[in-house]
Amino acid sequence: MTYEAVIGLEIHVQLNTATKLFCDCPNRPGDDPNTNICPVCLYLPGAMPRLSRQALEKAAIACMALNGEIQAESAFDQKVYYYPDLPKGFQLSQHHKPLSRNGWLDIEDEDGQPKRLRLHHVHLEEDVAKLVHETEGRMPISLVDFNRAGSPLIEIVTEPDMRAPRDAMAFLRALRRQVRYTGCADCSMEQGTMRCDANISLRPAGSDALNTKVEVKNMNSIRHVGDAIAYEIRRQGECLAAGEPIVLHTRLWDPEKRVTTAMRAKFEGPCVPDPSVPPILVTGAWLDQMRRRLPEMPNQKARRFVAQYRLQRDEAVMMSADRHLSDFFEAVAALDVTPRTAAGWLATRMLPALKERGLSISETPVAPDRFAALVRMVEKDEINAKSAKTVLAELFTGIEPPEAIVERFGFRQVSDAGVLEEIVEEVLAANAKAVEDYRGGNKKSIGFLVGQAMRASGGKANPRRVQQMFQERLAE
Amino acid sequence: MEDLFTWLDNTPPEPAPGPLQGKTVVVQPNMSVQDRPTGAGTKALSGYVALADATLVGNLRRAGAVLRGAGRMSELGFGLNGDTAAQIIERGLADIVLVTDTLGEARAAGVAGKVPALKPSYGIVSRCGLVGLVPSMECCGILARTFEDIAETLRALAGADPKDPSMDADGAGRVVRELEKEAEPAKGMPVLGRIAPVPGLPADPYAAAFEAALSRLAAAGVGIREIELTDRALVPGVHQVIGSVEASSSAGKYDGVRYGHRADAGRNWNEMYLLSRKESFGPAVKSYLFQGGYFQYKNYDAFVDACRVRARLVRETEAALETVDAILAPAGTGAGQGATAGEVYDAFGPTLLASLTGQPALVLPDPAAPGGLQLIGKRLGDARLLRAGQRISDLLSGDTPS
Repeated sequence: MTYEAVIGLEIHVQLNTATKLFCDCPNRPGDDPNTNICPVCLYLPGAMPRLSRQALEKAAIACMALNGEIQAESAFDQKVYYYPDLPKGFQLSQHHKPLSRNGWLDIEDEDGQPKRLRLHHVHLEEDVAKLVHETEGRMPISLVDFNRAGSPLIEIVTEPDMRAPRDAMAFLRALRRQVRYTGCADCSMEQGTMRCDANISLRPAGSDALNTKVEVKNMNSIRHVGDAIAYEIRRQGECLAAGEPIVLHTRLWDPEKRVTTAMRAKFEGPCVPDPSVPPILVTGAWLDQMRRRLPEMPNQKARRFVAQYRLQRDEAVMMSADRHLSDFFEAVAALDVTPRTAAGWLATRMLPALKERGLSISETPVAPDRFAALVRMVEKDEINAKSAKTVLAELFTGIEPPEAIVERFGFRQVSDAGVLEEIVEEVLAANAKAVEDYRGGNKKSIGFLVGQAMRASGGKANPRRVQQMFQERLAE
Repeated sequence: MEDLFTWLDNTPPEPAPGPLQGKTVVVQPNMSVQDRPTGAGTKALSGYVALADATLVGNLRRAGAVLRGAGRMSELGFGLNGDTAAQIIERGLADIVLVTDTLGEARAAGVAGKVPALKPSYGIVSRCGLVGLVPSMECCGILARTFEDIAETLRALAGADPKDPSMDADGAGRVVRELEKEAEPAKGMPVLGRIAPVPGLPADPYAAAFEAALSRLAAAGVGIREIELTDRALVPGVHQVIGSVEASSSAGKYDGVRYGHRADAGRNWNEMYLLSRKESFGPAVKSYLFQGGYFQYKNYDAFVDACRVRARLVRETEAALETVDAILAPAGTGAGQGATAGEVYDAFGPTLLASLTGQPALVLPDPAAPGGLQLIGKRLGDARLLRAGQRISDLLSGDTPS
């Protein structure tokens, strides 16, 4: 029997608010342990939680970016379980009345066709403390860092619409792109500001059954999510083939061994309405206000880039995928650079250069005006591509304008017809064999001739011009 | 006398002006007073010292009251086992005593101490800094020898607090404004409602005294009208289901990780945690937490039903209160064994209704009977209820107000 996988995801995204969800402590979990704490997030006796307006606003904007429907009324419940990472014996979360229901994101399937993946809901909740298990001599000890306790999270719960690891990975990339665009969250799986659990089950291909699922945790990159799901599909398939039943449980992904291993039985604590945090009632006016704060989203922007800048669809998608990149692109395009050239140079030169240096586009020391000046010189054939690469590297090291760097390195191309003609004639005279080949039908030998001319010019000749001249001379 | 107090401060106070100037106040040790033991009567918080004043304590200080100390209390304010509020007020050791009221504790202590006591409308006094067990019911009750002192204390305590977003900020403001107004001269005799008794249920021990008081009031010209309350027989059960569930969650923070009692034994944190909780609570609270755990984990539907009945009780009592000035009910002293949650509930039967509905409830000592009388008013009608209480009290004692 052939099986198909049914995959749903639960994604926790930490909102980048200034304070925690229910108190005024800084929302900086990475600071020295237990420095961002107060009676509320430690839940000292008598402390009362007070919902952060900024967290609610950012959560609502993120939900809108995921096409969710913000509910007129949502409320917090106490998710009860006992663990030392939970200061009050329950987590404040929205179980019965989530902030947003429904929603969707589009991905492309393996054939490049759009595929819509639905969200079940998005809810707000507080993060728990971080436990560190160590030993003191031979005594095992557990340390608790409450900096993270009470940080605002949104949990995005999908419908089980995914069928393959690539669906889940594409969904996570789309989700990250959308939420990052809003500026409400950083969404880094590596840094733990986005965490993903996957629920996986198998069923006979074509059936619509929902079988017992297994939850997989502990993936700290999108690639690991794909790998863990692929492993789990294989493992469950082998179980079914061997006649072993699938039991509801949680497994941990081991990135070293690249396997999942069973962990504690999944425990679902009860959820009762919290009597102290008032329900959230939203008005149409407030929703309009939040909607106005939603920026132009990537899909909209990509369509505009095609219409306004005449980019190809894939170029437009790439230029709009990251908000900072799209801003950079538009800034360059506004500086007398052909937009498609700007997009090409950003994609093939700028982004790899940034990656090499471990920087993001928002951290680039090369401002749009310096980058545009460089691309303009290339467009006008004032320097060749090879020199441009060196100039770009120089732009990263200082504040010198690209024109000055070109002069300093003597990169300005020779396009003067008289000088180039002399070189062309010399090369033709010295390479009779290549000339003969060309004339005999081997058109590729012109590349060799151009190379010789470039070398003779010390790399400064304008290669396009040189090639043109060879073609003219050899056609005679 | 020290046995009556958790802490006592006899230093002569600096005179501070305010409406409560010179009045001595004793609180319960579950109301945070900065740098004072705030153990809430539980081993779970043994040695716990408050970091800051509860909002209501700050309000008292600003009103000029002299904070004398904290009495002793039952574990986490559940029932009155070991509570000393009644003795402190009866012996004249304070003008005003504050007691949290969850099942009717403040009202029962008033009856026992032979003074009037008010459980205010829920949501008009800040709970910030109050160490409690049942957040949706408990409020700070006030015991004093005169109705004026209760009104003045409530005026000082009530009011919006940004640190307690669960409050009814507008409602609190309204109550304070009502308390500040001059009372209008009473028009005619008051009309009181009495809840029709549940057929087939045994009468409570105060029934005879209550009937006698009703007869005396009727003879004095007070109108008495019977009120039907569909779910009156369900009140104790509904209170206990909701109360125990909230208590079970609220007590989750007592795990020995950050503060309070931590067990010595235990081979790992999990055992440390289990043992600390086991050693932290006494039998009544423990059985209450188990009950709450049962409804949370095993019978959530019963909790949902209880919430629905509670909402209906609120609607029905508010509607009934449109037709009468107040509901008259008996009140007991809360005395009992209190070894289990069930026994604690048995001792507080007549006071549970107002805790569930959030309406203000006032007890008046009845000089002619062992128990007391309880008046339940419309939500946020605290000022009117206090005036009605004064009037009924005068009628019962034979005074005819001029």
